[in-house]
Amino acid sequence: MSDHHKETFITKYIFSMDHKMIAKQFLITGMLMAVLGMLMSAVFRVQLANPGESSILYSLLPGSWVNEMGALNPDKYLALVTMHGTILVFWVLTAGLSGTFANFLIPLQIGARDMASGFLNMLSYWFFFIATVVLISSIYVQGGPASGGWTIYPPLSALPQAIPGSGTGMTLWLISITLFVVGSLLGGLNYIVTILNLRTKGMSMQRMPLTVWALLVTAILGVLSFPVLLSCGLLLIFDRSFGTSFYLSDIIVGGEMLHNMGGSPVLFEHLFWFLGHPEVYIILLPALGIISEVISVNSRKPIFGYKAMVVSILVIGFLSFIVWGHHMFMTGMNPFLGSVFTFTTLLIAIPSAVKVFNYLATLWRANIRFTPAMLFAIAGVSAFITGGLTGLILGDSALDINVHDTYFVVGHFHIVMGLSAIYGMLAGVYHWFPKMYGRMMNKNLGYIHFWFTFICAYGVFFPMHFLGLAGLPRRYYTNTAFPMFDGLSDINDIITFFALAGAVVQTIFLFNFFYSIFKGTKASQNPWKSNSLEWTTPIERIHGNWPGELPTVHRWAYDYSKPGAEEDYILQTEPLKEGEEEH
Amino acid sequence: MTNILIALVVLLVIVSLVQLTRVSELLGELKNEDVNKVTDNDNKTQGVLFLIIGMGFMGFVIWQMIEWNHLLLPAAASLHGEQIDVLMKFTMTMILVVFFVLTPMLFYFAYKYRGSKNNTAYFLSHNNKLELIWTVIPTIVLTGVIIFGLKTWDETMNVDTSTAKVVEVYSEQFKWTARNSGNDNKLGNSNFKLVTAKNALGVDMQDQNSLDDQLLREVHLVVGKPVLLKFRSRDVIHSAYLPHFRVQMNCVPGLLTQFAFTPTKTTKQMKEEEGEDFEYVLLCNKICGAAHYNMQMSFIVETQEEYDEWISSKETLSEKLLTQKQ
Amino acid sequence: MNLIQKKSLKQLLWIGIGAIVMFFAGLTSAYIVRKAEGNWLEFILPDWFLYSTITIISSSVLLIIARFYINKEKPIIQLILTTLLLGVLFSYFQFRGWQELTMQGVFLTGEGSNVAGSFLYVITLAHLVHLLGGLIALVVTLINARGGKYTSNNYLGFELASNYWHFLGLLWVYLFFFLKFF
Repeated sequence: MSDHHKETFITKYIFSMDHKMIAKQFLITGMLMAVLGMLMSAVFRVQLANPGESSILYSLLPGSWVNEMGALNPDKYLALVTMHGTILVFWVLTAGLSGTFANFLIPLQIGARDMASGFLNMLSYWFFFIATVVLISSIYVQGGPASGGWTIYPPLSALPQAIPGSGTGMTLWLISITLFVVGSLLGGLNYIVTILNLRTKGMSMQRMPLTVWALLVTAILGVLSFPVLLSCGLLLIFDRSFGTSFYLSDIIVGGEMLHNMGGSPVLFEHLFWFLGHPEVYIILLPALGIISEVISVNSRKPIFGYKAMVVSILVIGFLSFIVWGHHMFMTGMNPFLGSVFTFTTLLIAIPSAVKVFNYLATLWRANIRFTPAMLFAIAGVSAFITGGLTGLILGDSALDINVHDTYFVVGHFHIVMGLSAIYGMLAGVYHWFPKMYGRMMNKNLGYIHFWFTFICAYGVFFPMHFLGLAGLPRRYYTNTAFPMFDGLSDINDIITFFALAGAVVQTIFLFNFFYSIFKGTKASQNPWKSNSLEWTTPIERIHGNWPGELPTVHRWAYDYSKPGAEEDYILQTEPLKEGEEEH
Repeated sequence: MTNILIALVVLLVIVSLVQLTRVSELLGELKNEDVNKVTDNDNKTQGVLFLIIGMGFMGFVIWQMIEWNHLLLPAAASLHGEQIDVLMKFTMTMILVVFFVLTPMLFYFAYKYRGSKNNTAYFLSHNNKLELIWTVIPTIVLTGVIIFGLKTWDETMNVDTSTAKVVEVYSEQFKWTARNSGNDNKLGNSNFKLVTAKNALGVDMQDQNSLDDQLLREVHLVVGKPVLLKFRSRDVIHSAYLPHFRVQMNCVPGLLTQFAFTPTKTTKQMKEEEGEDFEYVLLCNKICGAAHYNMQMSFIVETQEEYDEWISSKETLSEKLLTQKQ
Repeated sequence: MNLIQKKSLKQLLWIGIGAIVMFFAGLTSAYIVRKAEGNWLEFILPDWFLYSTITIISSSVLLIIARFYINKEKPIIQLILTTLLLGVLFSYFQFRGWQELTMQGVFLTGEGSNVAGSFLYVITLAHLVHLLGGLIALVVTLINARGGKYTSNNYLGFELASNYWHFLGLLWVYLFFFLKFF
């Protein structure tokens, strides 16, 4: 077999080049950042429910963020929403989701010993780690962290005179994101090359589980779109630190007339959203891939329409590059351009709908086993339906006029990302925990975690649609400045209540996760009776994944309840019987 | 204070649940049972929960729609806004129908097909005809939505502005200033380099068109008459959001943007319909700094006579900037 | 190292190159969009950039020759060293080009600058930074070649370094013609 290098604590747990360990590094870091991001949202939700009042939660913040009365400073409210968005979009839903599951599943599900380059893979985590340290450090600098929204539009993000967080905090944000993107790209390279080259004998592309397809397309999206964010950021760095005028022009701020001439903030928006839109599909596709897997295994039925599901992943991936303008309908763009983007955006609804119908068809006449993972997978489909539908309103330029940048948008993207994608991630954690740690998570705690989360999450985000249709803008420190919003305070209270309750409920999951790593009941070889290759590796997990020869694959991953079979599942390694046809 | 107590109670509840579960796991180990195995009973419970909580979710949605309907924005007070409202009703109805069909179906399937040891799933891997149907039908529906949407967008964006009254709306951290174009309906040129304390909008007083321009703290519009709002920004991106008129447009430093519309209801009329407290208002809708939440300017829609009377008392820029004052 | 592993490493490089291409695509698209908006200083690209273009093309030619030499088991140390030196010469020409630009009054930033100049500096600087990586790779291959590492059966490291170097050359040629004629 391959190398028998001597393992030390450092090479096993710190600078590991084993994809399974790297996956867990991404997972733990992602989870910790999720806690941080969620705490931030708890803090700013408290401000929204009790505007201008002090709160015990503010004691978590740096002292300079509250005034003498103990109330949160308005610019620090913006710092919180900025960091919340940054952490959740990039750190949790990109690194925590792709980083974990691409690293963990790809070699295992295609029958490879490890990724194409364990070294690059190790680097990808450590770039991510350093990016994390830099980002967290930005919280404690004098002006505070970046505060221009996670979308960091200049001139606001370029000028410390416009908001304090645009000083050192923003510089650190840019450094952090650069490191993050480099780490992501290093990972993405590996995922693509490994899937293309290291599939085991018999594992044709058409026999790969949907999870692998989704992760492949995701990695391609990343390679094509993240570098543009770097070019966007590079020009911003020059504007901020070297006095160029790529994005800045005609500005008087803080009493000072700036010399910049000829720049355009809209150019930034184009470059940013060229990544920004594929980014949300980089978040969503792996989650949908996981949901496909979990639903199929726990329905004891093949995922319905495997080919259609693959095609829809490819179409969504392709279309995701030509819809970015729908984030910019209100920038004064040429109306014709607006029409083009409306057209392409509404098109993307078609493959998304196809996926939903295929999920429903998978559940039809199934024999459902409700593991906690399955609960989250089904909830993920529900959230995808709910959130996806409101996308049809936002993607329609004429309708976007009145809902752009209101709570309607906030509700939409939280339901598709904060619910659907996170549910996919949680389903993945519950489902593959036995493989990751050789132990089972507690089922009942999982059930409790699920139902309270499901209720609280819809309780937080569904009401936001009404706030948006009432004209309430997002990123407002308080809603008390305009009499027209006075009637909305009850809704705000309800949202905050569910937000705090939901945050508290996640402690059940955190306990379950960490407790089970050490004290969970030992897992059996294939606790979910799943067909895919990862369940044929030893429970204790070894370097190189399989002790002897690599497995040979004879069939696709979805022979569940196949007529004529002894059990309701057939491993992919099982040769076809006499007269048996492959699907 | 109550919040803290509630939080503490919840925490204690969670801690107890956790301890109970640990105990059950240990007991299970003693009895050699797998406490984490999903049993038929579990499937029944979870399936039923999906049905009940699913219905609860539907009920919650309907409750919200009924309870909070009165909080939504009133009907549009502009010509293009009326078209947008029609499109919104159409699209919203469509997505609600789809939502109320697909979501109950999902939860019902979860309930109906809850598993048991004696059951077998039906091995059906694909059906190409079905794929075709549920690709073609959404495509047709979406084509209709797209065409309707593009038509409305075109009507909103491509309006004849030749007779529109031109008003500039200037944004900065953290207030709005308006500039009326005066009798010539032409705004004088402006340049940020000309900004002074008195000439806050940097208007070029050498330009003849500037002389009759007027700086305003609130904007008055004549009902039924088109207005062309032109937007500028002093410092960062702001966004002019006039929700009652279905108007929104970013204000970008270094760029000129605009939006034309025709108001259809006077403020007085709106007060009768919506209550004495009603005001048309301009909000900032793009994160712009600490006081982003408090950039407001009033818009008043009135009759021509009322407008003429109001504007006649306003100082022109030539009076403000060029006349020598004591 | 088996064939699949070799193939994988080469593919890793190509996809990485793809990412770098997208980075420059972002910069050049921004250039195109901004130029269309007007207020764009026109100036003549200093000849130094032509010299650097010729230099980097020559350096690639040398590496191609080296590739053939490896197959014939002939020594390639001199070729790699010369390529490396040409790479350094390229960098020198870029600096001279920037110098001349400032004499022409085209600056990266400051009161008298125009965004056309800013773009030029940023794009060429970005390329040079990536070239630095290429120089490091060449140094590594030089050391390995001196150690006799490359044989006609196994020259993966050389191949990777030279593929990257050829990419840098092609990228520069694209950027050069783009900046000169667009």
